[in-house]
Amino acid sequence: MDLISYLRENAGTVLLYGEQHLLVVFFAIALGSTISIGFALLVTPGEAAPQRWSLDWILGAIRDGALLVTAAALTVPSLALLVLLLPLFGLGAATTVTALTIYSLYSVLRNSVAGLSSVDAGVLESAKGLGMGRLRRLIRVQLPLAWPVILNGIRVATLIDVAIAAVAALVRGPGLGQLVLTGLSRYGAANAFNQVLVGTLGCLVVAAVFEIFYAIVERLTVPRGIRV
Amino acid sequence: MSRATTNPGGSADRPPDQQPMIVLEGVSKTYPGHLTPAVAEVDLAVARGSIVMLVGPSGCGKTTTLKMMNRLIEPTTGRILLDGEDVTKVNADQLRRRIGYVIQQVGLFPHFTVGQNIGVVPRMLGWERRRIRQRIDELLELVGLPPGEFRDRYPRQLSGGQQQRVGVARALAADPPVMLMDEPFGAIDPITRERLHDQFLEIQRTVRKTICFVTHDLQEAIKLGDHIAIFAAGGRIAQYDTPEMILSRPANDFVREFVGSGAAVRRLHLIALSTLALDKIATGSSATAGAHPVIEVDGSGRPVAWIRVPGVDGSPALATVPLSGSVYDAVDAMLDAHSSAVAVVDGDGRAVGALRWEALVGELQMRGRHR
Repeated sequence: MDLISYLRENAGTVLLYGEQHLLVVFFAIALGSTISIGFALLVTPGEAAPQRWSLDWILGAIRDGALLVTAAALTVPSLALLVLLLPLFGLGAATTVTALTIYSLYSVLRNSVAGLSSVDAGVLESAKGLGMGRLRRLIRVQLPLAWPVILNGIRVATLIDVAIAAVAALVRGPGLGQLVLTGLSRYGAANAFNQVLVGTLGCLVVAAVFEIFYAIVERLTVPRGIRV
Repeated sequence: MSRATTNPGGSADRPPDQQPMIVLEGVSKTYPGHLTPAVAEVDLAVARGSIVMLVGPSGCGKTTTLKMMNRLIEPTTGRILLDGEDVTKVNADQLRRRIGYVIQQVGLFPHFTVGQNIGVVPRMLGWERRRIRQRIDELLELVGLPPGEFRDRYPRQLSGGQQQRVGVARALAADPPVMLMDEPFGAIDPITRERLHDQFLEIQRTVRKTICFVTHDLQEAIKLGDHIAIFAAGGRIAQYDTPEMILSRPANDFVREFVGSGAAVRRLHLIALSTLALDKIATGSSATAGAHPVIEVDGSGRPVAWIRVPGVDGSPALATVPLSGSVYDAVDAMLDAHSSAVAVVDGDGRAVGALRWEALVGELQMRGRHR
């Protein structure tokens, strides 16, 4: 059977797997981004010049520490991490989402920290001089200005997660990985190769859907004054 | 060095509107980890509605002094009173909303439109939307940017000079009685800066704010300041006085050196042409022989060329200078045209008088004697 007729016969299953894949990545990214951005906001001093050197030093240490830990997590082989999480969350979606969340942390955190701290010192000083408090400066000034950079971090994290989500099939994670895994285990049998191929191409389609989604989000959320 | 300061505001026991707006009493700032103070025992009183220029070489503590007034930097010792109220006793953010603040880098919010930038403080103060919109247009008019054209632009679509005008408008938004300006025109090209200076003085004539203005440019200080505080290294005030007095009576060697050799020329900036007795001018048509310079004018009364200037052989090249200018401008125009006379024109470009070199020197001699 060729690829086209395979697809035609199994359209429902493939679509279901694709949908699962999309959702599992979406939840993981939403969770991971919230954690990373929130954390970055907490450890950003929001001052043009540090008011207290000790505080600045401590925040810097926490920031660097967090980046180091999340970067280290990214280097753990996905297979190993999934298996390590099994005792905690069991087979299925919970383990998958947890692992994908962990993998999304680093690039969002790194871009958030970079974006928030690259806001022009003159802008920050005038914000403070006009009587904006720290929270207002963070939310009204720093976050919108850092947003394009943060959004790019989220994009990269999404691409990483779309690929890793396929591996999660090993712990019965939902998604297109199921197709790839089945195909692999029956390699040589009828349609085995088609399954692997459809699973792989499916991942590309999911990634493309996310890219379109982010292009729209960017259009809607990046303020006009800083759009390039 | 003794504290050579005179307080234009003076002590208490005066009617409230004559009490100084800003008072610094023995204010010092020592940054953590530094042995010597950045600002040492500064006393300063700024009269209501006046412009005080803080001038000095880099690292003399002038910016630190300014930033202590709105508590961007907290003083180590001393008191700062704003309208009689100790600034360290109030909430810093609330305090800053009552003080306009303009910096060299302007610091407009790039993701806000010009209008939104100006509306930042009024919005924080909870003004009604309609009132904010009115205020934005009013301020854009004031700084010479037509609201219809500029209100909805973004900062990156403006030139440096336009951005700084928006910066000034933003600082004026909630009508604060006090403005702090940290080298606001420092990064702007000389020609635009000149224009902004004139506009700044004109705005000040309307709004009458109490302004502290940091600059390292003595020229700027002389042009804009009602009083000048010259800071010496070590964060002390070497002299606090009017521009006239600083130029003619430097209190000590530091000020003398800082003012430099060109003091007499700089002082010419301080004499407005409108305060001089100008020579009457005869126009070309009524060119009878007499003591007055004779000038040829076009149909609308604008000077075209000298016909005759008493005491000068032949007819010198024509140079004009606006009546609103200073003697410095007039001398500059004379030197530029290699002419010993200059025609003074009014706002419409019509000749209103002439200034001759001999007459000017005579006048300056007289003023010098009367001082």
